[in-house]
Amino acid sequence: MNVRSLVARDVKAAAPFGRLAAGLRAFRPADLLLPLALPAAVLLAWQVTAVNGWLPVQILPPPAMVLSTLHDLIRDGDIAANLKISLWRISLGFALGAGSGLVLGTLLGVSKTLDDYLGPVFKALAQIPSLGWVPVLILIFGLAEALKIVIIAKACLVPTVLATAQGIRNIPRHYLEVARVLRLSGRTRLFKLLIPATLPTVFSGLRLALSHAWIALIVVEMLAAQEGVGYMMVWGRTLFQIDIVIAGMLVIGVIGLAMDTGLARIARRLRGWAPDHG
Amino acid sequence: MSQQAAVQAGEATLIIRGVSKTYRVDDRPLSVLRNIALDIEPGEFVSVVGASGCGKSTLLRLIIGLDTDYDGDILLDGRRIEGPGPERGIVFQEPRLFPWLTVEDNVALGLDASGTAPRQRERSVAENIALVGLTGFEKAYPHQLSGGMAQRAAIARALVNRPEIQLLDEPLGALDSLTRAYLQKELLRIWQQERVTVIMVTHDVEEAVFLSDKVVVMEPRPGRIGAVIPIELAHPRDRAAPDFIARKERILRELQH
Repeated sequence: MNVRSLVARDVKAAAPFGRLAAGLRAFRPADLLLPLALPAAVLLAWQVTAVNGWLPVQILPPPAMVLSTLHDLIRDGDIAANLKISLWRISLGFALGAGSGLVLGTLLGVSKTLDDYLGPVFKALAQIPSLGWVPVLILIFGLAEALKIVIIAKACLVPTVLATAQGIRNIPRHYLEVARVLRLSGRTRLFKLLIPATLPTVFSGLRLALSHAWIALIVVEMLAAQEGVGYMMVWGRTLFQIDIVIAGMLVIGVIGLAMDTGLARIARRLRGWAPDHG
Repeated sequence: MSQQAAVQAGEATLIIRGVSKTYRVDDRPLSVLRNIALDIEPGEFVSVVGASGCGKSTLLRLIIGLDTDYDGDILLDGRRIEGPGPERGIVFQEPRLFPWLTVEDNVALGLDASGTAPRQRERSVAENIALVGLTGFEKAYPHQLSGGMAQRAAIARALVNRPEIQLLDEPLGALDSLTRAYLQKELLRIWQQERVTVIMVTHDVEEAVFLSDKVVVMEPRPGRIGAVIPIELAHPRDRAAPDFIARKERILRELQH
């Protein structure tokens, strides 16, 4: 009996070719150009509008002016200084909010009882936009740094908790039965079942949390701050220098995209086993 | 190693006495098993056949200890089963491998609770991967395997801890007939080599006759044992032999009651 040939017959011959094909497809130049099509169209419309003077310069400055303002802001260190404080707020808020969100989400996902007690209350609280909390939190924290951190943390907490709890509840019952039958230790259950099984859901929650964090950051800086990218934009609007506002928007867009891509990359790397990897 | 396993395997006797199981469906009791009685000798290969819904799989869930809410007694060496234990292993109808672990890491899960030293663990994992004919695929992920290979990895995961009783819940049910026939021979070889007790649920009467020492025929609604038919033919069995066909016909007749 030729066991080897039988084994070979069993291998899915398609797998390596599928991977190669996917790799080739990823390198089509169109894939790189497609995401730039819409910005290019917007830029064109913007330029046409500015050249024809359809809108006053105070409302819509031409692209070249925004670019030169952005250049000035970068050269003078305004962007760096404001970005530094904004990124610090986001990092601290995200770390606190997402960190406690992971713990709380795990508890709600694991314990049916806890979920029965806290789940509905939490979902109701989650419906209130982070900014709805601002008036109350100003009374508690004043306009101090803590206010900004707490609001960003709260904005991160909700999506992280919901995603983590859902990820845990969605672990297939089949796998949990395997864990019971094999009497896996707590440690093995955590590292070889719970974490890998919930990872994709948790990471999409974290990405959502990060985008909520940006929204909360900018708004809270616009409402109650003397520094930061959001403050810089309010300041630009007050001076009727919309070019500064648009420059701020560009900076937020680029940094936000970079962070989101970073998180997505980490998630993909951690999911190296998955069939769509590569 | 296998000699030692044989000595261990020779000990477990499973006695099922007056076992009944009732589910509540829409607040009304639904009897799935009624008064099941069965003795299984150490080293025996027992198949359970019956129509869908006759409680075959439920019976396996009770024996493995995933469900301890039943009437009657399931005794293993005189002790009532109160949950999963190291002396019992199960292969489900689906391989149920963890997709994020390689074949060898999946198989190693079977030793997680045993406290085996790392070097011994590595050796046992390699041995059992070889036993099911997957050598060379240790580092493969489940999605890179065919259904037959994945099921063999699942068999290795269940065997690696050398349980005295191996439960198989339609393990070959989802496979094509060629792979199925091949894995039936493999199961027979592994059973003969390791002398474990096997209880296999199957839809396939021919498979039951090909492999088993005795075939338990169950009847549905509520699930109960209709007949226990001994198959005292020598291995390897010839599916075309008159004796073989006579056993098969008899079981099919029992199933039509």
